Amino acid sequence: MAISSSTVEPPAPAHPGWQRHLTKLLQPFLLLAPSGLWLVMLLVVPTVLILELSLIPGFRLGQPAGGYGLGNYLQIFQIVYLQVVLRSLYFATGATIACLLLGFPVAYWIAIKAPKRWRNLLLVGFILPLWTSSLLRAYAWITILRPSGLLNSLLGAIGLPGQDWLYRSPAVLIGMAYSFLPYMVLILYASLEKLDRRLLEAAADLGATPQQAFWKITVPQTLPGIAAGGLLVFIASLGDFVVPDLLGPPSMTLSRLIYDQFLRFRNWGFGSSLSLILIFAVSVAIALLIKYGDRNAAQS
Amino acid sequence: MPPTNLRNSRLLHRASLGSATSRRHFLQFSAAALSGVALSNCARNLSNAGSSPASSPTNSTANKTLHIYTWANYTDDELLRGFQDRTGIQVVVDTFDSNETMLTKMQGGGGKAYSIIYPSDYMVEKMIADEMVAPLDQSRLQGTDRWLPQWQDPVYDPGNAHSMPVVWGTTGLIFDPGRVSDPIKGWDYIWQNVDQLSRRITLINDVREVMGATLKYLGYSLNSTKPAEIEAAYNELLKLKPAIASFITNGWEDQLASGDLTVSMAYSQDAIYLIEESPNLQYIVPETGSSLWTDTMVIPKTAPNVDAAYEWLNYMLDPENSAKMVERLKIATPNEAAFEKLPTNLQQDQNLFPSKAILAKSEGIAPVPQAITDLYERYWTQLTSS
Repeated sequence: MAISSSTVEPPAPAHPGWQRHLTKLLQPFLLLAPSGLWLVMLLVVPTVLILELSLIPGFRLGQPAGGYGLGNYLQIFQIVYLQVVLRSLYFATGATIACLLLGFPVAYWIAIKAPKRWRNLLLVGFILPLWTSSLLRAYAWITILRPSGLLNSLLGAIGLPGQDWLYRSPAVLIGMAYSFLPYMVLILYASLEKLDRRLLEAAADLGATPQQAFWKITVPQTLPGIAAGGLLVFIASLGDFVVPDLLGPPSMTLSRLIYDQFLRFRNWGFGSSLSLILIFAVSVAIALLIKYGDRNAAQS
Repeated sequence: MPPTNLRNSRLLHRASLGSATSRRHFLQFSAAALSGVALSNCARNLSNAGSSPASSPTNSTANKTLHIYTWANYTDDELLRGFQDRTGIQVVVDTFDSNETMLTKMQGGGGKAYSIIYPSDYMVEKMIADEMVAPLDQSRLQGTDRWLPQWQDPVYDPGNAHSMPVVWGTTGLIFDPGRVSDPIKGWDYIWQNVDQLSRRITLINDVREVMGATLKYLGYSLNSTKPAEIEAAYNELLKLKPAIASFITNGWEDQLASGDLTVSMAYSQDAIYLIEESPNLQYIVPETGSSLWTDTMVIPKTAPNVDAAYEWLNYMLDPENSAKMVERLKIATPNEAAFEKLPTNLQQDQNLFPSKAILAKSEGIAPVPQAITDLYERYWTQLTSS
């Protein structure tokens, strides 16, 4: 209804209070309904379904289902599956550390040393690789890392011994660090950009060496950014499927295990419980991110 | 013109002042772009897992469209165009990369659009047992009396009552004879040379194929149901693990051709494609025997367009058409009438049509009881989790 309030001065209130009240009540529902329905249909309902499947031990598609139980969850504590969980954690931790070590100097340089007008361009340069398919990038790394590949040609040309990294852990760490470095750089950049440089000047005035100033001022001030970037990379690499599957050893990670349970063995019960555990681990990481991470950096 | 320059420089100055806010916008934008990319990656991984969803045919075109669900490389434009010219029916092709992926999709209700699907032998048997495929009405088919001996009464579907064999082949080893020390004759080569082959071999990413090959190497049946034999095969595979670069069905081709891999276990079909490009490579079926697979065509019970499905089966039975397809796609046909129409060089191609002696030693993968399937899966998980 068009309320032309400015032109028609109401002799008596045309819209009684209760009607305005109702509109006010309905407004949030009308505005939130589309996204709310979307979330319920495509997030809440599937998650509840996964939860139900995970509570039916050994549920397989096309076979009669048994009763409810915690069997699927207990199964994870078998050595076979713990190995897989530990391998995933190892890759995710390694990738996080690698991204931090590689990303901090870059973000520091862009935020503090690089000419102001170049900063956006430099950041775009860092994000650009993400605009190609992750599958293509993994295949590109195969071409680089394979024994007769680009890396070994370069090493050979400068007289260094060749490396045989493909289908081993180094290839996974390289591939993951490459994939997720942009996240780390963007977040660290946002954090470093806000660094209060007067503190650095004051430290210098009081006789601190640049190293002391870096460790006592720069690092503590960007700690929330480091936490945010680290957790984001950790979450992304924990669930990564493409890199470990294409570049890694013939040993599974968590995502491959889930894939196998759903599509190869059709053990949807166990697959669901694994998925929920991954969702839970990621939720904990996100909760930590919200509590300790650099909120502004994470939001930007 | 000085004034303009002045204005320009002032504009530039203002732009640089505003850069702090614009950078924040930029960061927001790039974060949005990042998450978009991340989401699309998720979607890609999912579609990787489940193949593309079939677009359901609309009512107006239902009789004019046939949806088929098949393996990659089993159809080409010429084949589909020929069918459309003959019947006026347009074919929409979706592909899967493993029988299990296909079964999951059909059981999950995502395959209701398909009127023809291409399961392999053991999967046909399972789908018949699960009552997922309709029996074939033989009176509607012409030319089903000309199968090669092996397919006249196959074990997986007696009398071809529910399925029609369409492509067959073997599983074997492909390598460059110039790069291996002795000529490779069988599976034993990779076990004898584990030390020299560190991360230089790939195996097919399939439980039954890999376990079956190992069982054959040990002299057992490809379809062993004896727990002791299956455990022995697992122990042999454990010894082989340092030599295994990866379990992949496709994706080893470039690295084998360049010499980064020494031996790959492959389906004859994939080996034949690669040898066309790199004639220095050689494919062998191990002398102890191997797995002999058949891909078939069936009509699922949920098929929306059964008439078009029978048109397709008859089209594929036509010897003329079938022979041309073999020549173009280099796939082996079980149709004797089509085989006779092939040029001699193809008929005598050992990779395409291996000798009777090798066929006699080979077996098709057969379904095993659920308890034994569980055992195979448990050893496979142990092998790939360590």
